[in-house]
Amino acid sequence: MTYLALNPSTRLLQMKLHNGIKSMKCAYIEALGSSSMARESNIVKIVGQENHKKLRSFKCLIVGAGGIGSELLKDCILMDFGEIHIVDLDTIDLSNLNRQFLFRQRDIKQPKSTTAVKAVQHFNNSKLIPYQGNVMDTTQFPLAWFGQFDIIFNGLDNLAARRYVNKMTQFLGKPLLESGTSGFDGYIQPIIPGQTECFDCTPKETPKTFPVCTIRSTPSQPVHCIVWAKNFLFNQLFNTDTPANENTNDWGTEDQAEIERIKQETNELHDLQKIILTNDDSRINDILVKLFIRDIEKLLQIENLWKTRTKPSPLDQTLIDKASKAELQNPSLSSLWDIQEQVTEFIRVTKVLMQRIHEGEKSLEFDKDDEDTLRFVSTAANIRSHIFNIPVKTGFDIKQIAGNIIPAIATTNAVIAGLSTLTALRVLNLLSYAPTKKATDLNMAFTAKASNLSMGRYISNPKLAPPNPACPVGGKVCRGVLKITEKGLNEINLSKLIDFIREKYEYPEETSIIDTSNQRLLADYDFDDLECKTLADCKLHAGSVVLFSDEEGVDGGSYRKAIELYIETVKGPLENEINLPDVVVPLVTVSEQAPATEEQEEPSQLKSETDKGIIDLGSEDETSTAGKKRPLVDIETNDAKRIKLDQDDNNDDLIELE
Amino acid sequence: MSISTNGQKLTEDEIALYDRQIRLWGMAAQARMRSARVLLINLSSIGTEICKNIVLSGFGSLTILDSHKATEEDLSSQFFLSKDNVGSYRLDAAKDRILEMNPRVNIVFDIDEFSSKQPNYFSNFDLVIGTELKCDEMARLNEITRKYNIPLYIAGSNGLFAYIFVDLIQFDAKEKKVKSFKPTEVGKVSPNTEIIDVEVQVDEEEASKIYEVITTRNYYKTFGDMLKTATLQGKLNRRQMKRLSSAVPLTIALFSEKPLNNSEDLKCEALSACRQLQVPETVLNDQYVEQFFNQVGVEFTPVAAVIGGAVAQDVINILGKRQSPLNNLVIFDGITLDMPIYEF
Repeated sequence: MTYLALNPSTRLLQMKLHNGIKSMKCAYIEALGSSSMARESNIVKIVGQENHKKLRSFKCLIVGAGGIGSELLKDCILMDFGEIHIVDLDTIDLSNLNRQFLFRQRDIKQPKSTTAVKAVQHFNNSKLIPYQGNVMDTTQFPLAWFGQFDIIFNGLDNLAARRYVNKMTQFLGKPLLESGTSGFDGYIQPIIPGQTECFDCTPKETPKTFPVCTIRSTPSQPVHCIVWAKNFLFNQLFNTDTPANENTNDWGTEDQAEIERIKQETNELHDLQKIILTNDDSRINDILVKLFIRDIEKLLQIENLWKTRTKPSPLDQTLIDKASKAELQNPSLSSLWDIQEQVTEFIRVTKVLMQRIHEGEKSLEFDKDDEDTLRFVSTAANIRSHIFNIPVKTGFDIKQIAGNIIPAIATTNAVIAGLSTLTALRVLNLLSYAPTKKATDLNMAFTAKASNLSMGRYISNPKLAPPNPACPVGGKVCRGVLKITEKGLNEINLSKLIDFIREKYEYPEETSIIDTSNQRLLADYDFDDLECKTLADCKLHAGSVVLFSDEEGVDGGSYRKAIELYIETVKGPLENEINLPDVVVPLVTVSEQAPATEEQEEPSQLKSETDKGIIDLGSEDETSTAGKKRPLVDIETNDAKRIKLDQDDNNDDLIELE
Repeated sequence: MSISTNGQKLTEDEIALYDRQIRLWGMAAQARMRSARVLLINLSSIGTEICKNIVLSGFGSLTILDSHKATEEDLSSQFFLSKDNVGSYRLDAAKDRILEMNPRVNIVFDIDEFSSKQPNYFSNFDLVIGTELKCDEMARLNEITRKYNIPLYIAGSNGLFAYIFVDLIQFDAKEKKVKSFKPTEVGKVSPNTEIIDVEVQVDEEEASKIYEVITTRNYYKTFGDMLKTATLQGKLNRRQMKRLSSAVPLTIALFSEKPLNNSEDLKCEALSACRQLQVPETVLNDQYVEQFFNQVGVEFTPVAAVIGGAVAQDVINILGKRQSPLNNLVIFDGITLDMPIYEF
């Protein structure tokens, strides 16, 4: 195959792949003539001739070409879908190869989606279209693009993208097969908009956080020291963008002496960054003395802290003295090092990081795959653990905690992807002998035995629940597509848009409007600063989603249901440059209308970025479905970068909701 | 962390490659997997899935025994094959694609007939997995694995339906659980299992966390004995009985050695399976029987992925000694996704 090139244009690559597939298909059809048992005969025996034809006309989308995605791709091809599109923004990493069976050592650093499509050519019988991109990128993947598919499979590793795809399918009324795995645990959930629970209808577990005082003064577990080393110390020393002042009102303690000490310590630590910037490695010892002797001595003076706790013991000065003379031996990350090795390695790796900054890397960020940063965090965390009588950990273990690594295996992914594709047969109503009469007769499934939830079932298969009426995505809002011209975006101001919406759907005077992509309040009863600005100046664009809510009520006790509008730009011509969808927005009683604050709550990961009162691990990739019939499931790897991008987009003019 | 069990320490390269699974089952289990010798009989659709999972996860050696030549139908359910392989040995066709998945695994390809292999051939393996075998082949294979005391897994599928049979002869599994208010007691817990030891452990990081390490002894039956004695009498509550899939008596009916020429024959056998299992004959519905008959012997990749994943995971579990193994018949209904485990 000749299309192996670095950074190929996706379009060109797609064309080449298409042509390749076409010629393969022709050859295949010729070969068919002589064969008695056709390739299709298996699937035809299962779904019948008619439904097989339908299947060949269906287009499916697979979001993610990782652990579950590779399996889904294989299953969808062999199930005989006519056309399969697959999206992934990532490139292949060595640690993927234990389960992402389409990838080889030679593929490392190549894009996942295009590599996966190349790897399946020898058994492919469908039209395949790969995309390298972020599925949440509204320019590359506008709502209308999602609209072409008959069914969408999620093979995602993060909450933000899951929520996003869920919402797009809710806008379009398209069936979604949601799935996820974490180690031995896995689940699938078919989502039929309007008829069954959506992804957001059950609350998801938020990332674990720790009070500031536990991290800064009284750690008692290895994870507390790791969070200290990664989120606090590393940034104070090597991240030149980190402010010295801590903005928080939530210290997790009332003890003024302790709060004062934490504040003072932060300022002093920030001064240590100057040592790093001097590139004078003879002063690394000063850093050690400050962090692990002086600061601990100060901490010991706050006697209140140690009434019920074991006192920490400052690091022995002779360890630091010896370290300067000790031999460097680059010990293995998978073995436990003694305290002398920790100190020696701390000095060595700090020197390396100092040098990197000196050589032009202005600001460093912790990255679990950047071994220097990992070794720094490991040694700093372990020295602190040693001081506080907490067990030390190997670099291998610390990598998992600091990098939010979620274990992932081939077998669970295979089982889950298999269940997901099987369910598609019923979602698409292709089994005439098991017709899907109503969507709530469909089954979700999760690993019951592997997750220790049952000894008598390998898989549990509860039926789907109807939408949760209190869910801001699946139950509580109406939806539609707002069409607008570029001219409209640049000329219509926010108050005009509000008037249009109020008039069309008969909302009362008091309403609110929110940009849901980053939970920005655009206008409500006591915030009208933006109302004279044009929609473009309010940072609304193609792909923005606004949520419009009744804040007053109609006819004593009833509320107009909220409406969520996806903004799609069209060339026009449009009357008034704007067109609102013909959607019936009903009145609901108060009891059906949950408090408005609930739906405006920020996704937890955004919150942790802005709320410095709580230090968290930055674990972006949780997702546990609460509720007793649901297993706890986490998802692979993370996408901190994507979330950060959204964050940086904030405009000073605009106010973020708390 | 050092590895002393069964051979040498894992190399840094292996730790990097297997990172995401070592974090789940630990380095000791990974090292044990590396020294295991597995025999897989038939590179069917399920066989293909098992092969993929075992090779990826880093077993020491895998021998694949398969004498079949690739057919046009195989193309729709076996992803190691491509259309120009039709007519050649499946193993010859799949060889390079299997090898390149993980060069660390020692893979042997054997195109001899299963029936031509003498019993002592099987004694070279720590574990045997048979897929898509005929009933007489299952019985023969089980006889041999019993003779040499080798754990055995057998799996097969019929379209949307599939089964796994397990015979580990006798197996002790250790599991670590957070201690509940009521301490776990030694004794029989189910027809084929018995807790033989409970050891209390305190978490080394948090003294308030107390664990129990529970050793469960699993007893198994041979395939023949399982068929003879299988019953559901008293094992299902009313709701479970109501939900019982027709696939259960129908799958067991297929294990009978009688020829089943049409769906009537199948129904007849299935009815006698119902009587033996002590489940009402109303479990069977005619349309379902008809469909099942149409799908007998049909291989389908999504089903193979579920079954192949479950078998490979259980094999990893028994080597890693992580979770209690399957015992002893699992039946999968790919329509409802029901997948009960029956201790027969």
